[in-house]
Amino acid sequence: MTRKQRDAVIAGVYQTKQGDWSHATQDQVWWDSVRGACEDAGIELDEIDGLIGPAPDGAGIRVQLPGAPLGYDLLGKPLRFQASSSIGASAGASNINLAHYAVSTGLADVVVVATASGGVNEGYNSTDRDSAIAAMAKLSGPYEYVYGGTRVSDYATLAMRYFYEFGATSEQLAEVAVAQRHGATLHPLSFNGHRGEITVDDVMSSRMIADPLRLLDCCSINQGGGAYIVTTAERAKQSATKPAVALLGYGEGHSHIDPNAVPSLATFEAPRIAADTAFDQAGITRDDIDLTAIGDHFTINVLLGLEGSGFFKPGEAARFAGEGGLKIGGTLPTNTAGGFLSFSHAASCGLFSLIEVVDQLRGDAGDRQVAGARYGFVNGVGGAMQNNFAAILGKV
Amino acid sequence: MPYWESLKEHEVKVQKCSVCGTFRFVPKELCPNCQSMEVTWTTIAGTGEIYTFTIVRRAPTPAYQEEAPYTIVHVTMAEGFRMIATLKGTDVDSVAIGQQVKVAYDDVTPEWTLLTFAPA
Repeated sequence: MTRKQRDAVIAGVYQTKQGDWSHATQDQVWWDSVRGACEDAGIELDEIDGLIGPAPDGAGIRVQLPGAPLGYDLLGKPLRFQASSSIGASAGASNINLAHYAVSTGLADVVVVATASGGVNEGYNSTDRDSAIAAMAKLSGPYEYVYGGTRVSDYATLAMRYFYEFGATSEQLAEVAVAQRHGATLHPLSFNGHRGEITVDDVMSSRMIADPLRLLDCCSINQGGGAYIVTTAERAKQSATKPAVALLGYGEGHSHIDPNAVPSLATFEAPRIAADTAFDQAGITRDDIDLTAIGDHFTINVLLGLEGSGFFKPGEAARFAGEGGLKIGGTLPTNTAGGFLSFSHAASCGLFSLIEVVDQLRGDAGDRQVAGARYGFVNGVGGAMQNNFAAILGKV
Repeated sequence: MPYWESLKEHEVKVQKCSVCGTFRFVPKELCPNCQSMEVTWTTIAGTGEIYTFTIVRRAPTPAYQEEAPYTIVHVTMAEGFRMIATLKGTDVDSVAIGQQVKVAYDDVTPEWTLLTFAPA
């Protein structure tokens, strides 16, 4: 069998304002996002012939056959390819790999990856905090949530062990939140930017949710949507107005379901495997990376993700964060639009973190711009460090 | 199921691999060390050391909030595997990694006993 090997690029990106979309329906937010990404790429909606990730919400067998709605029902012709990665709420970002693969091998020519949250819902996609928190508490497992754990406490146990092993402090964690809120204030579409800057004192005096994690250590609860289009470099060139960005390397690491099974709750092997695979493919080193996007359900994710991905020795990311290294203007700007903490935690929110890296590499990041950005590293997790991915993007 | 049945008897039985002797918890179909499916449900000593913990102050539902703040601990058991449960019988602010604990039993209903930990 001969597979094609074409150059694939991210040709268009789009994000809605992140906030309260309960007045709209999820599919409206989804299609708004997809239309926006198509417009950014200069591509017509009906050129889409591939989908990575789910289609908009719908009834019946739509869920089991996620590519089928984008056939005759909605796009008026058969869709050529559908698949999805499964890295929790970071799938919107990890799906870059399958999108690249589909275009590169000729399984599809124009692939969309989109995510959206809207309408009045119960559970994860709700704007009702009580409903969302109760739903997310059951993401652990019955042997855990029977004891009244929450998603916050699932991560708090990791942070507590990390503090114990490395002498890290809550103040160092707080610097992650401070740096990212600053980025969000510089992004007009962010959920939390309008609340203004925060200080370490603000984080330290916010309500303790599950020791040692406080309210401002936690991601937002909001709605919104986003999408990106991947197509051939050739097609992109025909209508693009912005520089193309490509996937240079990718890897995954699937760690555990049961926290009792993984050897350590402070250092993780699986993100290392994901990152090493990605760097091996890309042929660059961690020193070449100009900025990162780390899936940040909580501040502790950023330290665990950077160390897990091999950017720092265990325990060293805390010191680096404490010294301001993660800020825009620091040595390794991270989550420069605010991440899940302050930009958006809607739906498959890893997608927004990936789009920020694309904007940075295009030179399109406005006041958040990292000067001369050439290579970006994107990481995300599913669950509580239960699975992980790494992707390296570069300007082409 | 043997784990839950053992708790009603105020014992703790977990899977011990019949081939390599590795203990495991939460119940799973394969031994992570040798991938055998053969197990003996074995009574454990019930003692261990706190590996990590947290104090839940914002609970998942109003019912759990009535109990808050409460401590959730991950304990390295004497047999070398870990278990997760609540820690009762001590002030939340005096919990620390490395403390010695022992299994306790919460008879929630006549049909259902929950494992917890208490200071050893």
